[in-house]
Amino acid sequence: MSVPLPVFVAIPLVTAFLLPVFAKRGKAVATVLANLATISLLVLAIASIGQSRVYEVGRWSIPLGINLVLDGLSSLLLLAISVVSTAAMFFSIRYMEQYTARAKYLSLFLLMVAGMNGVVLSGDIFNLFVFLEIASLASYALVGFGCGHEELEASFKYMVLGSIGSIFILFAVALVYGNTGSLNMAYISEAIQSNGLNPGLTFALGLFIVGFGLKAALVPFHAWLPDAHPSAPAPISAMLSGILIKTLGVYALARVVFNIFGISLATGWLLLTFGIVGMLVGAFMAFGQWDLKRLLAYSSISQVGYVMLGIGLGGLIIAKDGNLAWASLAILGGLFHLLNHAVYKSLLFLTSGSIQMSTGTRQLREMGGLAEKLPVTRATCTVASAAIAGIPPFSGFWSKLILVIASVQAGYYWVAAIIVFVSLCTLIMYLKVQRYVFLGELPENLQEITENRGSMLVAMVSLACLCVLMGLLLTPGLRASIFAPAVKVLVDGVSYSANVIGM
Amino acid sequence: MNLGKILPILVFLPLAVGFVLLFLPNKIKFLSKALALIISVIAFALGIRIFSLGQLDYSFPVLQIGNVNLELLLSAKPLGAFILMFAMGFGLLITLYSLKVHAIHNTNIYYGAILLTIGGSAGILLSNHLLFLLIFWEMVTASLYLLITTGGKNSNFAATKSFAMIGASDAAFLLGILMVWALSGTFVISEIAKGPVATTSSIPIIAFLLLLTAAITKAGALPLHTWLPTSGEYAPVSVMALLPAALDKLLGIYLLVIIVREIFVLKSAALGVVLAFIGAATIIIAVMVAMVQHNLKKLLSYHAISQVGYMVLGIATGTPVGIAGAIFHMLNNAIYKCCLFLCGGAVEQQAGTPELDKLGGLGKKMPITFITCLIAALSISGIPPFNGFVSKWMVYQGIIQMGTSAQAGGAAKLWPIWFTCAMFGSALTLASFVKLIHSTFLSRLPEELKDVKEVSPLQTGPMIVLASLCVFLGIFYHVPLKYFIYPALDIEPGTAIFGTWASGLATLLLVAGIIIGGLILAVSLLSRKVRIVPTWTCGEVQTNDQMRISGTHFYKTVSSMGGLRQLYTGQEKGHFDTYNQSGRLGLALTEFLRWLHSGILPVYLTWVTLGLLIVLFIVCKIW
Repeated sequence: MSVPLPVFVAIPLVTAFLLPVFAKRGKAVATVLANLATISLLVLAIASIGQSRVYEVGRWSIPLGINLVLDGLSSLLLLAISVVSTAAMFFSIRYMEQYTARAKYLSLFLLMVAGMNGVVLSGDIFNLFVFLEIASLASYALVGFGCGHEELEASFKYMVLGSIGSIFILFAVALVYGNTGSLNMAYISEAIQSNGLNPGLTFALGLFIVGFGLKAALVPFHAWLPDAHPSAPAPISAMLSGILIKTLGVYALARVVFNIFGISLATGWLLLTFGIVGMLVGAFMAFGQWDLKRLLAYSSISQVGYVMLGIGLGGLIIAKDGNLAWASLAILGGLFHLLNHAVYKSLLFLTSGSIQMSTGTRQLREMGGLAEKLPVTRATCTVASAAIAGIPPFSGFWSKLILVIASVQAGYYWVAAIIVFVSLCTLIMYLKVQRYVFLGELPENLQEITENRGSMLVAMVSLACLCVLMGLLLTPGLRASIFAPAVKVLVDGVSYSANVIGM
Repeated sequence: MNLGKILPILVFLPLAVGFVLLFLPNKIKFLSKALALIISVIAFALGIRIFSLGQLDYSFPVLQIGNVNLELLLSAKPLGAFILMFAMGFGLLITLYSLKVHAIHNTNIYYGAILLTIGGSAGILLSNHLLFLLIFWEMVTASLYLLITTGGKNSNFAATKSFAMIGASDAAFLLGILMVWALSGTFVISEIAKGPVATTSSIPIIAFLLLLTAAITKAGALPLHTWLPTSGEYAPVSVMALLPAALDKLLGIYLLVIIVREIFVLKSAALGVVLAFIGAATIIIAVMVAMVQHNLKKLLSYHAISQVGYMVLGIATGTPVGIAGAIFHMLNNAIYKCCLFLCGGAVEQQAGTPELDKLGGLGKKMPITFITCLIAALSISGIPPFNGFVSKWMVYQGIIQMGTSAQAGGAAKLWPIWFTCAMFGSALTLASFVKLIHSTFLSRLPEELKDVKEVSPLQTGPMIVLASLCVFLGIFYHVPLKYFIYPALDIEPGTAIFGTWASGLATLLLVAGIIIGGLILAVSLLSRKVRIVPTWTCGEVQTNDQMRISGTHFYKTVSSMGGLRQLYTGQEKGHFDTYNQSGRLGLALTEFLRWLHSGILPVYLTWVTLGLLIVLFIVCKIW
């Protein structure tokens, strides 16, 4: 089945603008509609796996018109977005009962999804910016959704830093347009290949890296994340950490660096270094946290580092004219980790929401012994922790294993050592979570709490099952249809332009 | 039918059932007990079958990532199959014993993790592919964590510490494996064994040290042993008997043997010294700490560490008799240490406390526990004719052989040091078990323990089995050597003859000696007139019942000796604990980073600006 590409943006966008109509009376209808939208997106994303094509909006052929491009990398990201958003949306049914203004929440949520889908599909650098702004603005509002003092402060910080990132990107887009005369990514790439890079374009590349780096929370551009992610309602934290930083940051960065400008030694090293610094700083900051969601947020910085490391290492090998099979392995590790992290980090944030809803606190020191009171939350959180810490046979182990193998194979033993070391740090921080939340002594004031029911459990349990089963994605058939095309897009680099123009 | 197919059954049946048990709701306890019992019986039967069948192979291609071939290769090799049989046996005994243990929180996780341990250990011992070995290895680590958490409220710290430390060693293991892969081009152990990696340059030496770290952490040798006493204090005793006392030793030493014999050729004299030093230091230091412990379980845990030293030392000798002795000691240690922990568990369960101060005189109340514990204690102290003596004797022989042989290595020249440590350690072990036996079973029975009874037959059963194995393997030591250990190590039975130790005659003489001694005692007791009077202290008369010598302070003179005292206090405070020290270092770094993250927006904007400058600097090549 070939899915018309604009549908991915249209469904959430239309639903988002439809929902406020239902106002207070039709809360239930709005919830059902929003869930239908995310579920249908999930179905469409699964249906579009393994396809690649170009859609020209309004039949205006490029470079005159706007195009949407579906290739391996986009469909991988579409899949990740729809899995996480379906689970988070389903979780919201029960979780958001503690908040007012349900319809507004749902439409902001869907706007964010529309923005992300647009970023992933856009074949045009200015449209990418527009969709990125839609998703970002929706997320600023959602971070401050609780309207408490902390939430608003976090939202403000996030907005200031996020807008700086957006301005950098916009400036870079303008520079690129001025220097190549095109906004279409394929044509920009073609122009760069034939004319080479001039100082204006390299300056634009630097601005792109910083701008997308701000969205991806690479260290040192990460400062907004530890405030913003914990302040949002739990399903939104799951969306932000699980998928937003990867779509707006990692995906866009990889697309620009690999497919438009072409990877060079300098950018390869830069991405690798960002990855490593992020892994280390995120991990060490996460140790010291006593706020559960803040710990998870710092851990996200560390985990995005893994993804960057995989992509950067692959890029470095390509730039050095090394063995392309090694580069593919590194990139495969990075992308697989991206997908894994989307699933288990969103699960971890959902469980943190379940814990917060039951106990009314996020402070690790105020909890303890919840294993008996919240058995399902405990089980799912343990599965997710095992996955993120890389304990076999859970999903995280496989992606880290691939990354380690790739770096040993390429001769970067020290990179392998850092990966393994950070993996150990991750294990220790999640042992801390287990120890203070689920083990130990139950405090007096929490004797009466009960497990959450209904949609929250369904969402958590289904994501936990995914954590257990995702290792199977490496089996030859699934790997060939999900990862191989995505890896190929990055490894092929600037031949993206020829592919898109030829399609 | 291809008999190789029973190998994956033995590995994956317990793993699958165990995994499901973990997630069962807490209400259906009976089901998990029954399933655990059935599966462990099947596993034991399969273990015996595999050993009796000899060489078996099974392969199943799982994945091909790049040029890495991840193939499930299971093969029953003599050494692995022999250890496997005993490992499955321990699994069954512990499952039986646990059925009557009350101190377990969350039954389903407990039995699920026991099955995961059984399946994981089988996987480790059968795996012929290093990556799969690692995967099973980590599963056993994770199930140890789950098992310790079933010890109740206070076990959370112990569980975390154990998982963190063993997890660190697992990380080292992964790196080591990949370095071996980079050096030899394959993950398959039997392929590597054809041309082992020579430790001549820095990369192979680092790889060797990384793998060594994994092996000795699991086995619990210094300096990475500190998880063991901590978990010994808080975990359920049956867990300690299963993993740290028995299976972790089997697995750790198995890995060490694989590393030394199949993966690497030790060409560096320094590595031999390192290995022997780890062994000797572990023996002496751990036993010195064990002597002054007040807690029954903690004391046993330190002995579990100390005994590892003999195995490491035996392997470090590199002589056939030394390695055979190490393997035999590994088996013996697993048997008597498991028995000791089970006895300790029985005492704790009935008396309600593991503190030696509060115990005493239980010999009459719990006769079976007393006798089995005594046999195991004599065994661990290396008293003939029990099994511990034979294997220690072989390790001594190995050290002497290494010293007297022509080979000129650093470790060989220093042999008197290793020898002294091993002998002295054995003497101190005896000393510390005198204290344990005295203060638990012999001294005066405290008032509170008047109603203590013997534990149920389900619990004494495993203890009796293990104690009789101690006696059997001690007297008929030829049997296990001939049928299990020499074939497993490819040693010609004739070559490894050691000393002239005729166990049969010696046992008869010993028994005769004991009988004569008993007679003399009986005669002197009958002929002597004894007057019992109340104790008179400084004008106060005290009834004899209040006069208890608990035995906890037997060796106080040692711990208050100048020089040693400071070391003991430092040890007590955790100054020598790798976990505490690295934790402190990590937290210091975290504090620094937290100081950087001040939460002030302009500071963060400065970071962004600096970052932008650096990125532009690199991308635009402004230099």
